[in-house]
Amino acid sequence: MTEGEELFERRISREDLLKLAAAAGGAGLLAGRAGAANAALERLAKETGRLQVLDWAGYGNDGGQAMFAQYVKTHPLNKPKFTYMGNEADALAKIHAGLKPDLFRPYVGWVKYFATSGLVQPWDTKLISNFKNLNPFMVKAGQYQGKQYGIPDDWGFDAILYRSDKVKPKAKSWSLLFDERYKGKIAWFDDIEMLTIAGLYLGFKNTWNQTDDQLKRSQKLLISKKHLVRTNWSSETDLWQLFGSGEVWIAYAWPNDWVQMKKKGLKVVYMHPKEKPIAWVGMFMLLKGSSRPNLSHAYVDAWSSAKSAKWLEDNYGYGHANTVARPSSSDLLRALQLTNPRAVTEPNAYLDRDIPRRALYAKMWEQVKAS
Amino acid sequence: MRRRRGRLDLTTPTLLGLPVAWLVVFFIVPIAIVAAYSFDVYSLFPGKHGFTLAAWREFIHSSVYLALFWKSVKMSLIVSAIIVVLAYPLAYYLALSGTKRKYVLLLVLIAPFLTSYLLRVLAWKVILGNEGVINTFLFWTGLRSPGHPISQLLYSRFAVMLVLGYIWLPFVALPIFVSLESLDRRLLEAASDLGASRLQAFRRVTLPLSLPGIMAAFLFVFIPTLGEFITPSLVGGANGYMYGNQIVDLFGTGFPDWETGSVLAIFLFGVVTVLTVVFARFLQPRQVTAG
Amino acid sequence: MDVALSRNGRIALRALFVLVVLFLYLPIAILLIFSFNKSELPSFPLSGFTLHWYHQFLTNADLRAALQTSAIIAAISSIGAVVLGVLASVALTRRRIKGRAAVSALLLSPLVIPYVVFGISLLLLFHTIGIPRMILTVVIGHIVISLPYTILVLVPRLEQIDVSLEEAAYDLGASRLRTFRSITLPLILPAVVSAFLIAFTTSFDEYAVASFVVGTRATFPIYLYSALRFPNQLPQVIAVAVVVITLSLIVVVAAEVGRRAAERRLGALES
Repeated sequence: MTEGEELFERRISREDLLKLAAAAGGAGLLAGRAGAANAALERLAKETGRLQVLDWAGYGNDGGQAMFAQYVKTHPLNKPKFTYMGNEADALAKIHAGLKPDLFRPYVGWVKYFATSGLVQPWDTKLISNFKNLNPFMVKAGQYQGKQYGIPDDWGFDAILYRSDKVKPKAKSWSLLFDERYKGKIAWFDDIEMLTIAGLYLGFKNTWNQTDDQLKRSQKLLISKKHLVRTNWSSETDLWQLFGSGEVWIAYAWPNDWVQMKKKGLKVVYMHPKEKPIAWVGMFMLLKGSSRPNLSHAYVDAWSSAKSAKWLEDNYGYGHANTVARPSSSDLLRALQLTNPRAVTEPNAYLDRDIPRRALYAKMWEQVKAS
Repeated sequence: MRRRRGRLDLTTPTLLGLPVAWLVVFFIVPIAIVAAYSFDVYSLFPGKHGFTLAAWREFIHSSVYLALFWKSVKMSLIVSAIIVVLAYPLAYYLALSGTKRKYVLLLVLIAPFLTSYLLRVLAWKVILGNEGVINTFLFWTGLRSPGHPISQLLYSRFAVMLVLGYIWLPFVALPIFVSLESLDRRLLEAASDLGASRLQAFRRVTLPLSLPGIMAAFLFVFIPTLGEFITPSLVGGANGYMYGNQIVDLFGTGFPDWETGSVLAIFLFGVVTVLTVVFARFLQPRQVTAG
Repeated sequence: MDVALSRNGRIALRALFVLVVLFLYLPIAILLIFSFNKSELPSFPLSGFTLHWYHQFLTNADLRAALQTSAIIAAISSIGAVVLGVLASVALTRRRIKGRAAVSALLLSPLVIPYVVFGISLLLLFHTIGIPRMILTVVIGHIVISLPYTILVLVPRLEQIDVSLEEAAYDLGASRLRTFRSITLPLILPAVVSAFLIAFTTSFDEYAVASFVVGTRATFPIYLYSALRFPNQLPQVIAVAVVVITLSLIVVVAAEVGRRAAERRLGALES
């Protein structure tokens, strides 16, 4: 806190100094004074301490080291310190509880929410050298009112994972999550997204902004099918445990879950339903009041490099917004449509987006769990 | 002998002041805040607020919450009834069989309760899973073929009730033991002298006299399990979801639905308070202390 | 003839007792077995003996931090609960109180509140006052929870002690404080220690309330709870579980045995 205040005061002095120099007139004077002042203040205003990162499990020192290895090399004194977020709502709760991260990573559906929340500030894309290689469509998705609030990085889909040796779906559809034949073998995701999926299945035009009536129908569907569900998973490792031990044969899942289950030797299929899967893009966001904005930009730059991108695609089965990167496996390439720059949008998928009535969706989902 | 009675009374506020104040500030007041929150008299989030029964009305009219409460009541009732019935003979054996080491054995019985709750739940998670101890043991001994485990052991209502029963069983033996121990043996002897068989003596003398202990035991397990959320979240899956889980979820998200959560919490609190007051006479401190 | 139990009845009940005790300790024994098991997954058949998991958890910094946090919270809250408990118990047993039933009820009421409700109420309280959630807030909550237990241990002991000893000292001119320090306190010391240990183990193991008011640090139960979701952490957690359960069993037994022995000795002194 004090750090930030000190920084703030120094910035003011720098501006005052520049104004003084300009007022005194003379380009030389300006250049000389400002240059010297800049240099001096730059040294004083150096960001210190470890970079506080709030990220999902698997992206910190618990396996994601390759993603920010470049950053650690160039900034050994400001190594990142991780706190884990279970999901965006959890991150929000942690920030409210007093956690002060420098940056965190919500997903594309929350860009508008956080941009208007007053909790984040836009990035200075000039400070990110790899920015030019990022998928322009995803870059646009991270903007709000022209400012770049989110830097896209990983992307993937929400779709259905199932055991091909145990399950024969009747159709390539979200209906598999509601299939009566597999009672007790299905896992849903513990999130309001289940309402969105119900809406897709029921054919609503804008499932992210359903009318009261539509929401009631979605909720009714979920409640009526709840008896088929073994459990609602909230962290991927839960899902891997359930799937791996055979407790569950069908689940809402992300591409990395498919990769991990294949690694375990299970016969699994990652199905893109005909009603279209939902696509997501991870967005780095910079918190307002962060005392390490430059370090944060450097961290994001490392994450956005082609090297990190390739590692992500090879190891986590997710796409990366860096269009220059290519994973080693062409199987994976094809399966995840990594060469398709518009993979995350129609006609391939629906990009996840802001939910204006999130509180109501949240309430409805809690009621589904309670039924 | 001089008795300085006057001065004796002055110190009582000093002695009681601190503990009572602590409880008022950190127990009574917080609950009052929750109640105020449920009526929207008070809120931590911006927006229009004022006294309203809206949240309560929705709680009662929406079929969801009360049904969930009733589900939890049923689960708690079953668990409590079963383990009280199971604990009674254990306490009876300790108290009335004249065994010399009754306190030692009582300690042996109670000790697991005094170790970690979470760790004992963990043990069951390890035991009940598809690839857990029970199932892999069955595979290993050939009683079931691999690939056909008994799936419904874990992540089910059954799992929740089994684990809760396991957790609380040691504890409920205690009040029953205390009330049986304080039984005057001579009553039983008198009954026998009057020609009663053991069964009759039990039914007419022992059982009624130990009733306070039984009631205390039942309440000591029923009330906490009613609000349980830890065990259901670890072994309950979607089906074993209980009332306490809904409260936690409503408060746990970063999203303000604390109003509904407060309503649920106060309702639970109200039910528990009513139960406690109605059965107060069974919940004497004497029921819990032993030896 | 034994009126309470026939010979067959006794055999049957003894068998039941043994079975139940086996049932109670079996899961703990299973944890013990698998803590030495080579495989990461706790399943049959066993795959070999190893001390690796014990080694691993000893070098796990996060786990050590959580244990430390829990120990600090437990120590402070137990002291607080015992101090308040002594004050309350002395008042309840040695003084005339108006509305004694109401006061007792208030002091013991935390026993019957579901922790989920209490945790939330503290969460709201601290949000209202504006105190950030941290170790202190957990300590406060744990003192409330442990207070009834300390009272339940101290009151019987205070009632057991012969009051005339205190009255004698008092009449000889000792102040109330002096009387307490020299006469009462030594006599109730075993119970005080017992109360402290009960409060300590209660706090150390407490998850529900702590999860609401701890903020961003982890206590041991909170660490355990999140570790239960990561299968690669499971073997370490099992090893820790075995250690903690064994230690608490030893502490509980030692405390109870010690308390009885001390009280017996003090009882001999009293007469």
